[in-house]
Amino acid sequence: MKIICLIKFIPDMDDFKYDYERNVLIRENMNQILNPEDAVAVAFAINVKKYYPQTVIDVVTMGPKNVTSKLEELLRLDVDHATLISDGAFIGSDTYATSLVLASYLTLNKADLILTGTHSLDGDTSHVPAQIAQWLSLPHLSNIISLNMNTMDSGRPELSADHDQEIMTFALKLPAVLSLQKEAPYKLPYVRYEDLNKVVSERLQVLTLKDLNLKKEAVGFEGSKTKVIKTFVKTQLRHDKIEVTTDEAGIQTVYDFLKDKGFLS
Amino acid sequence: MKKILLFLDGNQPNDRSLIGACERMTLGQDAQITAVGYPEDCPIGDSVYDDVLVIKDKLIAPYDTLALTQLLQEVHLQHHFDIILLPATPLGRILAPRLAIALHTGLVADVTDIEVADGVIHMIRPAYSGKLMARIIATGNGPVMMTVRPYGFEPTNIRLKTTVIKPIQGTNIKDSGIILLQSRAKTVTEDIRDSAILISGGGGVLTSFHRLQELAGVLHAQVSASRRVVDSGVVHRKIQVGQSGKTVSPKLYIALGISGSVQHIEGLKNVETIIAVNTNKNAPICSLAALVVEGDAVDFIDKLVRKIKQNSLNFKEETQ
Repeated sequence: MKIICLIKFIPDMDDFKYDYERNVLIRENMNQILNPEDAVAVAFAINVKKYYPQTVIDVVTMGPKNVTSKLEELLRLDVDHATLISDGAFIGSDTYATSLVLASYLTLNKADLILTGTHSLDGDTSHVPAQIAQWLSLPHLSNIISLNMNTMDSGRPELSADHDQEIMTFALKLPAVLSLQKEAPYKLPYVRYEDLNKVVSERLQVLTLKDLNLKKEAVGFEGSKTKVIKTFVKTQLRHDKIEVTTDEAGIQTVYDFLKDKGFLS
Repeated sequence: MKKILLFLDGNQPNDRSLIGACERMTLGQDAQITAVGYPEDCPIGDSVYDDVLVIKDKLIAPYDTLALTQLLQEVHLQHHFDIILLPATPLGRILAPRLAIALHTGLVADVTDIEVADGVIHMIRPAYSGKLMARIIATGNGPVMMTVRPYGFEPTNIRLKTTVIKPIQGTNIKDSGIILLQSRAKTVTEDIRDSAILISGGGGVLTSFHRLQELAGVLHAQVSASRRVVDSGVVHRKIQVGQSGKTVSPKLYIALGISGSVQHIEGLKNVETIIAVNTNKNAPICSLAALVVEGDAVDFIDKLVRKIKQNSLNFKEETQ
């Protein structure tokens, strides 16, 4: 089985830098971490490989070149290949353009299972996995909390997803896009001591726009269908404290306050 | 007149945010609003919608977003909507992006505010863990698409239409091969850290702590407690807020009869809004509160619960 994990390195929110002129996050020279739910997806893939050693795991990410060292860390685990898709032309891509780039890669590189996290901590739109599934006309399930390892090579793998009030268990046909959520019990292992300095660079490739047969105008600001026209810092309104009592006027004030803030429907 | 498509996903009772958002986009002008949804989410008589399309197709299950996207794409190709709105529910969140790709249009997620300038719809949403707010416009040729948070918008005008209700089915829906094997209700292990609203009680409500549940019920909130209440054995430690309890970050924290020791305040991380109800308006918690109610907490619960129930009843009468 071939598994491709789509992963994202996200800025450490404590180290937040933003280009207010161009309305993009400054990702260069920023402390990056692997998005936690994407780590769950990679950890699951590694588990599959333990169970079914013939499994091949590739991880793919889009971003600046400085994440290569992070990818190398994953290659020192049981990940077979890592791909960094990096090109200045991608700067400013919204989820429409981003999903097109990743879908183009996946059209050229087929997999049985495409794994992602459900949410990312930075943009938190959850769009891209579903959008990729649509570009590829594949089924997509998200909020996955467990996969039944015994069924993984059966041709009809089974999994459970958390749908608000219910836990739903599905069987599906591959290929499919599956988005895991952090409640799934899969954790990345530590790198084995003897592998700490293992040379892995020959299993890492960097691809650009050209390698994916994409036109420049299909990606970046130009290829996007939405545009951030302004960002602003949420002002912490230093409220003037309202004081009331429990009389009718006071309760009405509380009621209106709750309604204004959207706590009452 | 703008043509708007709404996808109904009835997870949230009394949520009118889709209609509220429409109102914000149309600036009080009339719009042709079409709603689409599964039978359990659709009105059966006259409503706020001009048209209701009820999905009656056994091949299109609500977890099968591949098929559902195909159906909604067909609906759009018949009607050519200017705007498409979906709720930011678990289903809406994975359905909307698929539909946006199918229609080759942009999508903005979790819109919390909408403004219109020179006829252009500005969608405003939090980004980067709420550190920034982003103002976003659609730049493509397709319909303007967004998801909105449940309860995020409240309509101010009353809208009642003679609703045309029609069943719909897809044509040539592709089988995605997903089979539902089992569905079981989640055993609710409530964690106060997950709650958007906490109704919290302290020494002032020690003997009437159970009454907090009434207010929690109408606000869809969970109940938490100060250490004083926990140490008295009234409630379990798992709902304790504070240094020796849990750190919570709800949007709203209503502190009833809690004085607000340093240790308690330690547990209130990033709480957006605090309402403090206390017989002593100079209690430490009151200095953190946006709204201070001086008085007896049980009296407060009685009156506020009555007010909320009364108003929701009035609303139902208005809309029936």
